[in-house]
Amino acid sequence: MSPTRKIVDIPFNRVEGDLEVRVEHDDGAITDAWSAGTLYRGFENLMIGRGALDGLVMTPRICGICSTTHLMAAARALDAIAGVTPPDNAIRLRNIALMAEHVQSDVRQSVLMFMADFANPAHQRHSLFEQAQQRYTTMGGSSFIDVIRETKKILEVVAMIGGQWPHSSYMVPGGIAFEPSQAHLLQCLQIVRSYRQWYERRILGCSIERWLAVDSRAALDVWLDENSTQRESEVGFLLRFGRELGLDAIGRGNEAFLSYGSLDLPADTDAVASTRQLVAAGVVRRTTAETFDAAKIAEDVSHAWYKKALGALHPFNGETQPYATGREGGAYSWIKAPRYDGSVVETGPLAEAVIDRRPLFLDFLAGPGASALTRQLARLTRPTTLLAAMETWLVECIATHGATIIAGDGQVPDGQGFGLTEAARGALGHWVSIENGKIARYQIITPTAWNGSPRDEGGVRGAWEEALVGTPIADPDNPVEAGYVIRSFDPCLVCAVHTVKRNH
Amino acid sequence: MAARILCIGNRFVGEDDFGPRVYDTLAGMECPADVDIVDGGLAGLNLLRYLEDGRPVIFVDAVSGFAPVGEITVIDGDIVARQAPGKFGHEAGLPFLLHVLPAVIDNPPPRVRLIGCEGGASDDAVLDAARLSLQLALEAQ
Repeated sequence: MSPTRKIVDIPFNRVEGDLEVRVEHDDGAITDAWSAGTLYRGFENLMIGRGALDGLVMTPRICGICSTTHLMAAARALDAIAGVTPPDNAIRLRNIALMAEHVQSDVRQSVLMFMADFANPAHQRHSLFEQAQQRYTTMGGSSFIDVIRETKKILEVVAMIGGQWPHSSYMVPGGIAFEPSQAHLLQCLQIVRSYRQWYERRILGCSIERWLAVDSRAALDVWLDENSTQRESEVGFLLRFGRELGLDAIGRGNEAFLSYGSLDLPADTDAVASTRQLVAAGVVRRTTAETFDAAKIAEDVSHAWYKKALGALHPFNGETQPYATGREGGAYSWIKAPRYDGSVVETGPLAEAVIDRRPLFLDFLAGPGASALTRQLARLTRPTTLLAAMETWLVECIATHGATIIAGDGQVPDGQGFGLTEAARGALGHWVSIENGKIARYQIITPTAWNGSPRDEGGVRGAWEEALVGTPIADPDNPVEAGYVIRSFDPCLVCAVHTVKRNH
Repeated sequence: MAARILCIGNRFVGEDDFGPRVYDTLAGMECPADVDIVDGGLAGLNLLRYLEDGRPVIFVDAVSGFAPVGEITVIDGDIVARQAPGKFGHEAGLPFLLHVLPAVIDNPPPRVRLIGCEGGASDDAVLDAARLSLQLALEAQ
């Protein structure tokens, strides 16, 4: 280690209570990084011995943001064990609530968390800084306030389809527990249309159709120069200020991507996709597209505080036995290290875009490569791929109101199954074994486990550990650049403690 | 209009399960029909929908730094809002919600009070808090 080499703890506790990132830097750039989840969660062990259906009630409560996604994964695992395929309207109504959660999260995370740092004093010499402060200052910025005001409305869709908020548990093996009334479905349609209008006006500055025509980096430059509405939109500002800050040149990572696929298409629908899911499943490593195979997932615990098993284990065989000891050496996180076919992969909206072969993002990969900015652009514009299908499916539900919403008898036999879906932050899976009518094993792999994993047996860094290497670090006391890299993955580790603490 | 009782917290974490335990206790008690009792969990900003109709709100949550351990305390909403962090994150909790509230709803914000318990709560403390929440809710009419 050279004399100038320093270790810095990135103060993520102000953003993500249970995440600590430590970096080593030398000569103004990060040379190594360690990401640690600091809280043992152990949800898997809470589930053992409970009734087969309890995952539907327990797992949505482990996250305040992605509760519908956990419900979807839990329900799909039970569908698989019961061997049932939900009827079309159950598929639609499961999807719509999940998509409502996504289109809210994508905008909130972008503006309230990622772009909020545009108002960081580190940027005060930049020409757009004053405007950034006016827009993104926490609590007072114009975009900050408007995003909270508007994104709160879309939640009503989840409340009406799920029958309650929070903690909706309306998905059941084989379908959904009840059908919302026509009046509620019409209200949902109105809310989605109104959200779309706001999203087009404020976030894009253009219609969704116009945005989807942006199919290359050159077309993106044309779009940005086309008019002031687009330039001044949130996407426009993200691009302009993000480029000025050099966010298009940091956070590349290893460019290996995973999507489990999500949002099954009903058998009879006007929604169009390249596969039988609106969001395709797949893996891309070094630009090579592969078919996704769930059997190739394994969890490595070599650098996590768990009892060491016999190498990396598939989640059906996974163990979650906490084992933290000073003599263990090498372990530094409560997050396990999931790997796909032995590889580190990243997951999230950029992975979905690459696997869906969306031309704009493929062009980025073919040119400068992935970056913090590309990742964030994929997130902020993902609703362009979801909102139209939400409308289509609501219209179809209204037209076929009264059609069956459940297949099978709602019972779950003994057996093994897994439920995969895409959460707002990426690939989420539940692996479930039922024995004698009880849960014998329950393993959950979250998107943040994929993105924020520690090293594996081979010493290979996790996705954002790798993406941090090479990132400039101008001021070790305010390492804002590292913050952009991490936040472009939208870390979420806060399924934890929220007590009201006296600070003042 | 009787108040709404919003019990919040994480029922899987001992340090933060006071609100959910009070909710469970209230769920087993006979409560006046016009008191709305909500298991708010970890919903954070997504609890805004319960703060927009003018009904007074009694929050129930674990607190830290306000009272001796094991003691139940009633804290005014303004004081809770002042504890808000400077930044928003996935973990943004009640202080953030109350701080941002006036700027993001159309109606005047409701009167808000928080029944908190410091540290781990005994079963008796949970029962006391449940009764107190009902009392405050009815007084708010």
